[in-house]
Parts: sequence; structure tokens; C-alpha cells
Amino acid sequence: MEEIIGLAPSGSMGSGYNLDAFERGIAAHPHFIGQDAGSTDMGPYYHGTGATFLPLATYRYDLAIMLRAARRARIPLIIGSALTSGANVSLKQAVDLVHDVAREDGFSFRMAVISAELDKTDLKRRLRQAPFESLGPDPLTPETLDRCGPIVAQMGVEPFIKALDAGAEVIVAGRACDDVIFAAMPIMKGYDHGLALHCGKILECAGLSAVPCDLAEPLLGRVRRDHFEVEPCHPAHRCTTVSVAGHSLYERGDPCLQPGPGGMNDLTHTVFTQVDERCVKVTGSRFVPDATYRVKLEGAEHLGFRSVVLTGIRDPYMIAALDGLFTEVRDRAEKRFRLSDKGVHLNFSVYGRNAVMGKLDPGAGVKPQEVGLLIDVVAPEQELATGVAMFVRGTLQHAAYPGIVNTAGNMAYPFSPFGLPVGPAYRFAVYHLMPLADPCECFPMTIEEVRN
Amino acid sequence: MTTTLESLAKVIRSKNAGPFELTFDIMFDDAASYERVKKSGAINVHAIAGIYRVRADDVLVCRPYDPAVAFKITIRRPVGSGDITDRDVYGCQQHVPLMKIEVP
Repeated sequence: MEEIIGLAPSGSMGSGYNLDAFERGIAAHPHFIGQDAGSTDMGPYYHGTGATFLPLATYRYDLAIMLRAARRARIPLIIGSALTSGANVSLKQAVDLVHDVAREDGFSFRMAVISAELDKTDLKRRLRQAPFESLGPDPLTPETLDRCGPIVAQMGVEPFIKALDAGAEVIVAGRACDDVIFAAMPIMKGYDHGLALHCGKILECAGLSAVPCDLAEPLLGRVRRDHFEVEPCHPAHRCTTVSVAGHSLYERGDPCLQPGPGGMNDLTHTVFTQVDERCVKVTGSRFVPDATYRVKLEGAEHLGFRSVVLTGIRDPYMIAALDGLFTEVRDRAEKRFRLSDKGVHLNFSVYGRNAVMGKLDPGAGVKPQEVGLLIDVVAPEQELATGVAMFVRGTLQHAAYPGIVNTAGNMAYPFSPFGLPVGPAYRFAVYHLMPLADPCECFPMTIEEVRN
Repeated sequence: MTTTLESLAKVIRSKNAGPFELTFDIMFDDAASYERVKKSGAINVHAIAGIYRVRADDVLVCRPYDPAVAFKITIRRPVGSGDITDRDVYGCQQHVPLMKIEVP
């Protein structure tokens, strides 16, 4: 049958996967293995530092299984957003892991490495030509760029197609839009852009769109001329019209209009049909190209250094008095450290009350039996952050409040040490659309013949 | 007789849609419950703005999606994911107030 079969081992590299199901996926003779390896989901720290979310050994474990299977079956292995932020520092780490596994197993192959990190001087030049549309943060300025860690752009299908055209058997790419990792080969072979991207959107989270839903369960996608089909590899798992349609919504703002590099995927007329108990067929998804090709930029600005103290409070009178105590201790910390002058942020989060939802919490009005208190400080220097956090905890430890019965201290520490330096703190400050003349122009590719 | 959304829906979830939006999916395993909620009009921009105490302008999407037998709601995040005062980096624990929506 005329089709391109993609195998998605897991929704996130490093999550591990069901090996029996993976082997069943390989037995279906996929044309490629695709793996998403990054996201903004874990917050700005990883984009700010370029650090990986998981230890390298965890990624290596998943990589070795995929690389062995891909080489055995002689099919491309396509990895996107390596690793976490997809910046050059972590891309290099991913490439090193590929070399390491290849050496161990004696594999030889052609590898394409595609960078997604932008040169800041070039970015500033582009910014002078036309402002970039914001998708949330303040307008972008050269100063913001200077405060940021690496800036990456989400690549579209084009750089992947270029790599496949060059005969790459392994592709390791920096930041990429998740669905394009799986859409590149079908689109290269002339299949419908909208169907390929929609299938990619389902595959990028692997078994999350099946029942039971599990990110670590492999999923197969078959893109054909006028439809695609998705099916979990686990024989007891099922894709249903509702699970697949439901996943089409996942992490997307609008159910029907899903913007990506170079255009919008329109699911308004998409139809989901149950083929058999485990397989769903999808038709009608349509890609509408933008007049100007734009890519999404991502970057996180450095705010200072974070130190925290985690503690628990059981005493009911202290719990009742907390808000007043916070005001009092903030005043004392202000006098002692001049927090506002120095740009120190001091936040209290009361777990058991409203820490999780903050402003969005409608309030339950139930008195908690105990609460967890997170004292969270972000300051220009790490020492100062720890100093403020420890001053605040010391003051609260022996604070007096109405009805106090225990004068030996009213905060319980889960472990020693108390003051934890967390490291640099960041905020997403770059989440903007940048126009490109050529979809590959800021995604340089190198081809390497790996020989062992 | 009115009932709560949680007794009719199978899935009520929240998640980031990028670092600056929070998105909610309300999914059903039977068409009748979905149709009942849809016909009731209980899920609308003003109800959502009221529940989360945000401006109606900050409710970016609020609509049923028949193919998934689901409702989609997206609001602007009060603070970006992982920013200094954010306490839910994934945005995955903001769904609870939706559970208590009254459906006639």
C-alpha cells in the first residue's frame, strides 16, 4: 500500500518505553522512527541555561534502543528538540550520545545535525528591520535578548526534508515544532501537508492519545494519500475516535486552528472514524500556508538567583496568623536587606491553602490541618537570596502571634540543610514570531559520515 | 434537576498551551451528557471569566468541539509558566473550579 509509516517510541525522550510494544512497532515495518526530545513545558530554567531536563544517561538508554532498531531496520531515526531546549549546548550533548552508542555497537551511518540556536547579533539586526509579533511577553528589545540565555527558533519540516534529501540516516535537530519531526518524511514524499502534520501532532506524544493513555507507550501512524491512521503498538491498548480527537486538543489553544511554522493546520473539517477496535482513521485536516513564513522564537531571561526554604506548620494558631506574620516578617526583611532597592523578590506559598492556584483560586474556605510553607527568594546574588530566605525562616520560627502556646518554634523542617540554593532563575521573555525569507535560513545543517 | 460538570464529564483537565496560555479540555464518554452541557450553555465566556476572576477578554477560546465530544477553553495565564510567582509550571492543576460548574 502507498503509505509512510512513522513509529513514535515515546512522547518524550528519556521517559523510557514498553520494549515489547516497541518491537511490535518495528515489526510493522515503519519508514522511520521519530522522537520528540524537548519542550518549553518544564519552564524557563532549561531554556535559560540550556541544561537538559534529565541526566544524560537516561537519554542514552532510550537512544541506544532506538538507534539499534533503526540501524537494524535500515530506516532513519529522526530526533527533534534535542535535548529539552534544543539549544546548541544540549544538541552537542545529544550528538555525543549518538557517537557513543554508535562506537559501542560499531554502527556507521550518515548523520545530519541541525542547529536551531540563533546568533544574537543577527537577531538584533532582524529586529531592527521589523518588530516580531509577541505571543505573550513584552515587545522584544535588544536589551531583553542580552539578558537571555540561548535563543532558539522552532524549525518546520523544511530543514528535516533537506536532511532526508541529503541521505541522512540519523537526524539530530535542535528546537523543532513537535509535529514536524513526524511530518517531514510524508511531506517530502508528496503526501498532504495537513494530514502529515496532524498525524505528527498525534504521534509526538505517542501513547498519550490511546486508551489507556500513557506517554511511554509506542504509537504507529500511517499517512496515506487522503487520510492517516493511528494505532498503539501495545496489543491491549486502543485508539478511539474520542481519544484521538481529544488528543488533537492537547496543549493547543484552539481545537480547530493550530498555527505552526509557515502556516496554520485547520482541523475544522476533520473527521475521525473508527477503523477497528484499536485503529482510528482521520481525514479532512488541511494546511493553510501563511503569506509570510514565520517561526516561533523562544528564550528565557535571567532574573537572578533563587534560594528556598521548605517547611511545615502544624500549629493551628500559627496557621491562622500566617498572613499577618508574612507582612511583619517582610517588613523586617525590608529593613534588614533593603529588598526593594536591591531587586529582591520574596514570595510565600502556603501549600494546603492556595499555593497551587494563587490568584485563580476561588477559595475553598476549609481550615487546613497542616500547611507546607515555601519561602522563595530571587535575588541578584545567590548568597543574598540564601541570606534573605534564612533570615525570614529564622524570624518566622520564633515569631509571636495571638494565642501562641508553643514557644519552642512552630516550623518543622523535612530535612537538613534548611536553606537551599536553587541556582539561576529565569522567565520566558522571548516567545515571538520571526519572519524568514527561507524556512531553512536560520537552521544550519552539517552532514557527518559516522564510521566505526 | 441541576448537576455538576464533574458528574457528567469523563475528563476535566488543564495544561499550558505554550508558556503564556492555560488551556482546559472537558471531555465526555457519552454523547448525551455532552449534548446536555452544550444545550445548557453553562460553559460560556462569562462563566469562565467569573470562575477564574479574569477579564472576559482574557478568555481566548471557549467553544464545544463536536469531533472530540469536548469543550475547549483557553485563558491567558495570569503569569507566564515558571515566572517568579508562578506555582504551577505545567499548568496542570488549574482545572478544579470547573468541576463544580452547575449544569441545568
